[in-house]
Amino acid sequence: MLEALLPEALLPEVIRQNLPFLLAGLAMTVRLAAIGIVGGTLLGLLVGVIRYARVPVLSPLAALYVEIVRGTPLLVVLFICYFAIPALLGYRTSAVNAAALGFVLFIAAYLAEDVRSGLRSVPPGLARAGLATGLSTVQVFRLIVLPQALRRIIPPVFSQYVRLFKFTSVASVIGVRELTGSALLVNAREFQPVVILATVALTYLVLCSTLSLVGRLLYARLSVRT
Amino acid sequence: MHYQFDWSQVWQHRDLIFDGLLVTVALSVASLVPTLIIGMLIGTLGASGSRAARTAAGLYVEGMRNVPLLIHMYVWYMALAFLRLPPFACAVLGLTLYSSAYVAELVRSGIGAVPRGQARAAAASGLRPWQALLLVVYPQALRIIAPSLASLASQLIKDSSLASVIAVAELSYQAGAIEGQTFRTFEVYITIAVLYLALVLLVSFAIDRIPGLRDAPSVGRIADA
Repeated sequence: MLEALLPEALLPEVIRQNLPFLLAGLAMTVRLAAIGIVGGTLLGLLVGVIRYARVPVLSPLAALYVEIVRGTPLLVVLFICYFAIPALLGYRTSAVNAAALGFVLFIAAYLAEDVRSGLRSVPPGLARAGLATGLSTVQVFRLIVLPQALRRIIPPVFSQYVRLFKFTSVASVIGVRELTGSALLVNAREFQPVVILATVALTYLVLCSTLSLVGRLLYARLSVRT
Repeated sequence: MHYQFDWSQVWQHRDLIFDGLLVTVALSVASLVPTLIIGMLIGTLGASGSRAARTAAGLYVEGMRNVPLLIHMYVWYMALAFLRLPPFACAVLGLTLYSSAYVAELVRSGIGAVPRGQARAAAASGLRPWQALLLVVYPQALRIIAPSLASLASQLIKDSSLASVIAVAELSYQAGAIEGQTFRTFEVYITIAVLYLALVLLVSFAIDRIPGLRDAPSVGRIADA
C-alpha cells in the first residue's frame, strides 16, 4: 500500500532494492509511535489529573514517577523495561513489547506535567461559575475544566508527540527492527551509509514535520480565544 | 520474585562507572557550550527583521530538530566516516546540531517576548543596534527563557546517553559493558538511572541558584505602560 505512494524511480538503487524491508521498518516505527502516543496520553492524563486533584496517597506516588522518569534517559528506560524489570519479576518479553512499554512510561511522565499545568491554567472563576449553575464537581471537571485545559496544551503535547516519534529510533538499540534498525541492517549488508542514512533522516524529517503541522492546525482550530 | 540482589558486583566495577560518569559530564559540557552559542546566533537571526535571515534560521531549526538524535550520531559516525572524527567529536557534533535547534527556538521566542519599546528606547538613548541587543534585549530575554534553558540542559545530559551507540565510553556504554560481564542487569541499570537522575537534579538545583535568574523580570510592565 505504501509502495504506491512513492515514486519508485526517484529512489536510489540501494533503497529501491531493499524497499519492502525498509517499509516494514517504517510500519513498525509508526506502530510504536502510535502505541506510545495513545498509551502515553491515557496514562499521562491519569497521572496529571491525580496530581492536579491531589488525590491522597496516589498523588505523591505520581509525583515520584514523574520525577524519576523525567530524570532518566530514554535509553536507560528502555534497558530497564527490556532487561531489568523482566529479570526482577522473572518474565520474558520481546524487544518490541519492552520498547512499547518503555515509550508509554517515558512519554506519559512528560505529558502528565503538560496536563497538570494545563489544568492549573484554567481560571478558577469558570469552575466556580459551573458549580453555581448546579453542576456537580465531577461534571464541572469533565465539562468545563478538562476541555479547556486540553485545548490549551495542544502545542506542548504535540511537541512531545514529535519527540516520541523521533525517539522511537532508540528502540533499534535493543534490537527492534523499526526504521532505524532496518536501515542499519541494510547498511550492514550494502555498506552505503551516506545514501541510506540520508534517506532515513529525510523520512523522519517529513513525518515529524507533518505531525507538528497537524498540531499547529489543530491548535489554530481549537485554541481558546481570549 | 526469585531475583537475588547482588550489589557487590556493581561496587566492584565502581571505577568503570565513575569513568563513564566523567565522560558523560565532559560530553555534556563540551556540547552545551557550542549549543548555546549556535542556538543564540540562529535564534537571533530568527528574530531579526530580515526575511531571508528568518527563513534560513527556520530551515536550520526544522531540519535539525526533526531528525532523531540517534540518526545525527550515525550520520557523523558512519556516513561521514571518511572524516575520521573520533567518536567523542561525532557525539559532540550530533548533540550540538540537534540541541542548538531547540535553543534557537527558545532564544527566538525570548527575544520576541521582550517588549519592542525596549530596543527602541535603547536606540533613542544613543546605543548602537548591537549594543541595544547585547545590553538591553539579551539580558531580559535570558531571564525569560532561563527555566526552559535549564530543562534543555538536563535534556542534553540525558540525550548524551545515545552517544553509547557510537562507542563513546560514557555512562550508558559502561553500564552495558558491566552488565555483559556480571549479568547483574537490574542492579547496573538502576545504578546508572540514579546517577543520571542525580546529575539532572544537580543541574536544575545549580541553575535555580544563579542570582538574578530566578526573579521574574518586572521591566516589561514598566516599558508597556
